[in-house]
Amino acid sequence: MPIITPRRTRGAVVLGAAALLASACSAAVGATSEPTGPSTGAAASWDQIMRAAQGQTVSLWMWGGDPQGNAYVDDVLAPAAKTLGVTLTRVPITDTKDAINRILAEKQAGRSDGAVDLVWVNGDNFRTGQQAGIWQCGWADGLPSAALTAPGDPLLTSDFGTPVDGCESPWHKAQFTFVYDSARVPDPPHSMNGLLEWIQAHPGRFTYPAPPDFTGSVFVREALYATAGGYAQVPAQFSQQAYDDATPPLWDALNAIRPSLWRGGDTYPKDSTQLDELFASGAVDFTMNYGPATLTKLVGDGTFPATTKVLTLDEGTVGNASFLAIPVTSGNSAGAQVVADLALSPAQQVAKADPSVWGQFTALDVSRLPATEAAAFAALPASPVVPPYDVLSRHANPELAAAWVPALDDGWRRNVQAAG
Amino acid sequence: MRARLLLLPAVVPVVVVLGATLALGGAQSLGLMPVVGEPALNLRAYRAVVASGDLWPAITVSVTVAGAATALALAVGLATALAVRASRVGGRILGALAASTIPIPHVVGAAAIGLLLADTGWLPRLLGLDEGAWPALVAGPWWGAVVLEYAWKESAFVALVVLASLAADTGELMDTAAVLGAGRWARARHILLPLALPGLVTAGAISFIYAVGSFEVPWLLGRSSPEPLSVLAYRLFTSTDLTVRPQALAVAVVTVALSAAIGLAALGLLRRRPVLA
Repeated sequence: MPIITPRRTRGAVVLGAAALLASACSAAVGATSEPTGPSTGAAASWDQIMRAAQGQTVSLWMWGGDPQGNAYVDDVLAPAAKTLGVTLTRVPITDTKDAINRILAEKQAGRSDGAVDLVWVNGDNFRTGQQAGIWQCGWADGLPSAALTAPGDPLLTSDFGTPVDGCESPWHKAQFTFVYDSARVPDPPHSMNGLLEWIQAHPGRFTYPAPPDFTGSVFVREALYATAGGYAQVPAQFSQQAYDDATPPLWDALNAIRPSLWRGGDTYPKDSTQLDELFASGAVDFTMNYGPATLTKLVGDGTFPATTKVLTLDEGTVGNASFLAIPVTSGNSAGAQVVADLALSPAQQVAKADPSVWGQFTALDVSRLPATEAAAFAALPASPVVPPYDVLSRHANPELAAAWVPALDDGWRRNVQAAG
Repeated sequence: MRARLLLLPAVVPVVVVLGATLALGGAQSLGLMPVVGEPALNLRAYRAVVASGDLWPAITVSVTVAGAATALALAVGLATALAVRASRVGGRILGALAASTIPIPHVVGAAAIGLLLADTGWLPRLLGLDEGAWPALVAGPWWGAVVLEYAWKESAFVALVVLASLAADTGELMDTAAVLGAGRWARARHILLPLALPGLVTAGAISFIYAVGSFEVPWLLGRSSPEPLSVLAYRLFTSTDLTVRPQALAVAVVTVALSAAIGLAALGLLRRRPVLA
């Protein structure tokens, strides 16, 4: 044992380093990228696609940090897909970028039977994939369920400023929300600027995840809208000029609140999970997330205090939609399309919108549904914590173009984090 | 010659896998395999990482944390090994306890340390301390929880290596020394320590290199800035901006170079020491 152990450990170190390097390297083997035009998928009729999908196994790669989302896919969506002849398996990942990296590696290796068939994606990850040409395009508009979405719905035609072009099919809508404990914050602010003032008046009771974390990134964009005097003052398309004009007041504001943050702004939570833990343990009075779906459960099971409430801002918050995309490396494109269509169908959207199931807001236009299905949406139980979508999305602010996101993340690191 | 041939099955896979990945990683860091754009040989990624101002703080943090953790692990590991030798029954129990931490993965250890030592963790609650009274070990300015996690895991490893290098029959040497009038302390200093030293150097180098390369422990228990090398490389590697990927590989290559330097230094140290007996 004592003789084996050092060797084993050394082997593990070498293997670990090798594996890291191997995964790092394989991602860029044969690095060329050509834009992927619309594939031939659009030509096939839906019947043909359904027939081709029979017996296929579809791997859905999705962020696995939400137990309710996992349970919905495993217990509701997958059995429904089975009745259509498609086996759906869920692959949990810690970050959507893991799926993008895998697809990039497989594309560069010339694989056409890759491990990824369907990805839950939006925003800068979608844009990155478009840049590298890893998405199949032109299929999403042909899905039967797509006819039930509102035509020209800006959230569904443009994903953080990147045209969707039928390269991904909508799954649900989300609204950025602040969450607070009403027992500890009896008189909450009602605007972003009010929140920034509240933070300075209550040192140590607020923090936000460090960008480039997804949630921390959104918080910085919310602060950008507030310091610029509203979203209309910030051009949606990125340009260096717009960045140079809009960001100095933002960095000033974030540096002004920094000493009043948790731990004096000396460090930040790494992601929304860590922020949620701080909120749950009472270390801070606010948390935040993009899509308050999990709140109902967290309050219900006692993780969050019963006095947890959603903070609606007078000027509104940013909203977005998230999507399902099929990579060019998928060998089960037909099956993936069937699952994407099923996921957007009224029955699945209603089931998913139930706060006790997942509580995700529908991407469909309920007014376009047949009466019985519209009634099912109307009959959904209300969450005791989360207001309905039309309340949350009142004055909803559009997202900035995806090119803003890395620029703001980087700017935050250099101007706010490094200044600390 | 024959003995060397027998080593081939172990050496070949390591050289092939490691050599190929190092070559690919190096090529990527030199701009030869960009994910987007045209390949061109240059040092742009290295220059960009240096210019970003992230590299030196990353090296400083990585080396300091790994150094502190290794020093602590060596001290605790050596003490454990000597205690195991000193008593028969107690030593067995201690040895078994030390060995039992070896198979626990670092990521599990890090999560457990986090639950134990965070501001709102198990220990401060048990002690009834509120936030101000408990030192900021997790995500704190001194990387306390990260150092403790490595030290805890690696000290068991150090103890086992040291015990193995002492396993050769030291009884005779000890008896002779005792007959010649050497006291307990003199025997430990002049016999046990020199015998344990090669093991200490080897185990120290391995645990130092592990700590420099490891990602999950500083990610879970460390602070958001400055980032150690592994966290910096991971952030660059997973950036949605694909053009910074060569920089991630440049950081990885720097990490490898640093680890190799430590490994070579340890080898040099082992060579220089005359082996006792």
